[in-house]
Amino acid sequence: MSAVAAPARRIGWRPDFWTLVAVGAWAILIVLLLIPLGLVLISSFRDESGQLTLANWQRLFTSTRYFNALINTLIVGFGGLAGALLLGSVMAFCMARLRIAGGRFVSMMAILALVSPPFIGAYSWIVLFGSGGIVRQTLMGWGINMPPIFGVWGILIVFAFKFYPYVYLLTSGALANINRSLEEAAENLGLTPFQRVMKVSFPLVLPALSAGGLLALIHAIADFGTPRLLGRGFNVLATEAYTAYSAEIGSNLGMATTLSLVLILMSMIFVFIQRYMSRRNVYHSNLINRPEKIQLRGFANVAAHAAVYFIALGGAMPAIIAAIYSIRKTNGPVFQPGFGLESYSRIIATLGDVVRNSLVFSGVSVLLIVVIGTLIGCLVARRNTAQSSLLDATLMVPYVMPGIVVGVAFIAAFNTPPLVMTGTAAIIILSVFIRRLPYAVRSSAAALRQVGPSMEEAAISLGYSPVQAFMKVTIPLILPGIVAGAMLSFVTAVNELSSSLVLYVGGTITMPVKIYIAINDGDYGTAASLSTILLVLSGTAIYLAFRLLGRDERALL
Amino acid sequence: MAYLNVEGAIKRYGPTTALNGVSFSVAQGEFFTLLGPSGCGKTTLLRSIAGFSQLSEGKVSLDGTDLLSVPPHKRDIGMVFQDYAIFPHLTVAENVAFGLKARKVAASEIRDRVAEALATVRLSALSERLPAALSGGQQQRIGIARAMVVKPRLLLMDEPLSNLDAKLRLDLRDEIRDIQRTIGIAAIYVTHDQEEALAISDRICVMDGGSIEQIGTPQQIYGQPATRFVASFVGTMNLLQPSTFGLPDVPGVAQWALRPERLRLAEAGAAGHGASAITGVVEHFTYLGREAHLTVQAQGNRLVAQIAAPPPDLVIEAGREIQLSFDRADLHAFDAAGQRLQTELAA
Repeated sequence: MSAVAAPARRIGWRPDFWTLVAVGAWAILIVLLLIPLGLVLISSFRDESGQLTLANWQRLFTSTRYFNALINTLIVGFGGLAGALLLGSVMAFCMARLRIAGGRFVSMMAILALVSPPFIGAYSWIVLFGSGGIVRQTLMGWGINMPPIFGVWGILIVFAFKFYPYVYLLTSGALANINRSLEEAAENLGLTPFQRVMKVSFPLVLPALSAGGLLALIHAIADFGTPRLLGRGFNVLATEAYTAYSAEIGSNLGMATTLSLVLILMSMIFVFIQRYMSRRNVYHSNLINRPEKIQLRGFANVAAHAAVYFIALGGAMPAIIAAIYSIRKTNGPVFQPGFGLESYSRIIATLGDVVRNSLVFSGVSVLLIVVIGTLIGCLVARRNTAQSSLLDATLMVPYVMPGIVVGVAFIAAFNTPPLVMTGTAAIIILSVFIRRLPYAVRSSAAALRQVGPSMEEAAISLGYSPVQAFMKVTIPLILPGIVAGAMLSFVTAVNELSSSLVLYVGGTITMPVKIYIAINDGDYGTAASLSTILLVLSGTAIYLAFRLLGRDERALL
Repeated sequence: MAYLNVEGAIKRYGPTTALNGVSFSVAQGEFFTLLGPSGCGKTTLLRSIAGFSQLSEGKVSLDGTDLLSVPPHKRDIGMVFQDYAIFPHLTVAENVAFGLKARKVAASEIRDRVAEALATVRLSALSERLPAALSGGQQQRIGIARAMVVKPRLLLMDEPLSNLDAKLRLDLRDEIRDIQRTIGIAAIYVTHDQEEALAISDRICVMDGGSIEQIGTPQQIYGQPATRFVASFVGTMNLLQPSTFGLPDVPGVAQWALRPERLRLAEAGAAGHGASAITGVVEHFTYLGREAHLTVQAQGNRLVAQIAAPPPDLVIEAGREIQLSFDRADLHAFDAAGQRLQTELAA
């Protein structure tokens, strides 16, 4: 807007209100993101006595312990990526192109795998394949000796089954949307089926495949619970950062922040590589001709069904195991033969405040996320200024921040005046808020771009002030999207472990933290029943979101 | 006499100028059309009058009072949008009632006026439906009813028919014109479709590159185009190089122009007094029933001729030599800057 136009502009409320939103958004980002990140950066260059030093970075590359953690993080990252790509693309191909009986059930299993927290996965795999695991014991009874699932292979197996839905959900969408005429044209031009796949289909799904792979990779290197429970000496950056921070003696915040920075840098590099890879590869097809699903016969049909159900049940297995174990009879922490509801009655008797904490913290952070995220989303969508694009870009940062890093950064920022929040509920709520805020901003901005400005302009031309027009037209139109987004944010919030684990104190313990502690203490009954409660909460939220939004699994990513 | 007055409207977006000092006025009850190619500034001008875009410089007044100091929602100007902008969460009747509610009209009166407006656009039967199920033409009828029902001081229409298919466009065009006449409201209509502009308007303002090329009645715009741009944008125009077809050199004339329907088939050497003959080679011949189109190469000019009511046995092969003629009085003359010149030839 030029200066000359200013007098006319001032009449409206918009400049003032949206300027206020922009100022508020920047204040939030500075206090909750930039200052903690800045302090993380500073802290990594300080020793215990506060002197400037490069020692932390030196130790990263000279100490075998930290260097191994760095290498191990890359191993589980790319190993998890490879596993997720393999399982995800097999699943995507079968589900998008073949007739598979029980397709709805299969995609429900994929959702279950996606929403069950990874540490529950690790725990369930231990139950089946750990040293005393049922499956392993049974096999040993038959004379088959299999190693327990601990160590790097165990982590990779869990990651493959945990993260394949990212690849599956994105790629199957792309595969189902390739115009059939393209493949027919390739066939008509004389390409063999293999050439056709490599030269036509694969390039067309590559953007989706790489986007799904990126999500798997970033989650794999950020994951804390799985390597912590399954690693047994196999440490990654996330676990080392936690250890450095939480060690009873010689807690080393400087080392924790250095490791955190390496994690952020790694995630960012992968995001940029993926962006670069798919920079030209956005294909829009005006779909006339959807590919038809093929009905396989005989052995091929059996093999396809076996692969799909193996992956689906493997992914959902942790949730199923947790549900079954939650109703096993227990005596204290020890399982007894038969079934019973002791675990649940114990939760009601002694862990009510944990459940309440989880619900209150998640509820409050979702409320904040929705209100503030929607306002910032409107700002980003409607004001196409350099300032709002910078805001949008800054909001990308929490995307790549592993939970453990947010936890460590909040400790670095809010342990000392002027703002002391450590040990409060607020710090946990705000950590979840800042991590999930970008998703809400993105989704509300997208919803708003769908509505288009002419709706509001129509209302204004009919005599409503801009505020009234926004409330009466825009809000009702984007409300279903906002509520659905809130439900999905709730799923993330209620399952959040790693940042809460750094930030909790006795009074602010949440369900995921309690589950983690219970597993470490061998109290599997409590862990299983709390996990089941979490799954039921997540499932209900997803059901509501799908009711509002229409069934779209990709909204979960 | 002028009801709406726009004076020296300038709009800059950074270094580019979307409107370059535009002035015009619209009378009460007049149907006024802004016509031009995309990017000519017509939509910017319309949105500035509505208040959705602010002029960098210039004055706009409506019924004697300054408009630019009034916020958009208090201007009392109805608007019909290209993408309809029908509220999908409200029923057809609620959409139409939307503006009346803002004006705190009594419920019973709202009911009557909505019913009347829906009857005018022939949508009474659909009043309780949600708009998503309706066709584009029906949605735009709601848009028209919604804008008209509040009896605004001025009605703005931003390419309201451009998303509709051809047949519907003709029907709705006539309807819009009838409704506007019945109510007697001043209307500004934006379009890039010259035929639509000719059919619907009292006066047309042809714009190009942020400036006005010509304002006039449809007859003036088509019959006496003020610039070469208007001549070729409105309808088809054959441009003839000077000193061809025996045309005399007239000082200042850089180009002659001739409408295709002014060319006729002729016998060799039969051009009468005040007429010129053309001998050329046929490139295309297209028979369309009520008329036939000929493309002819002659003396380095490519000419289009439209032959009205062609005889059924008229078949002209491509490559054949053909004789055409025209009256020199039908010529338009333009100078090097593209401005219309009055000459004795083009009287």
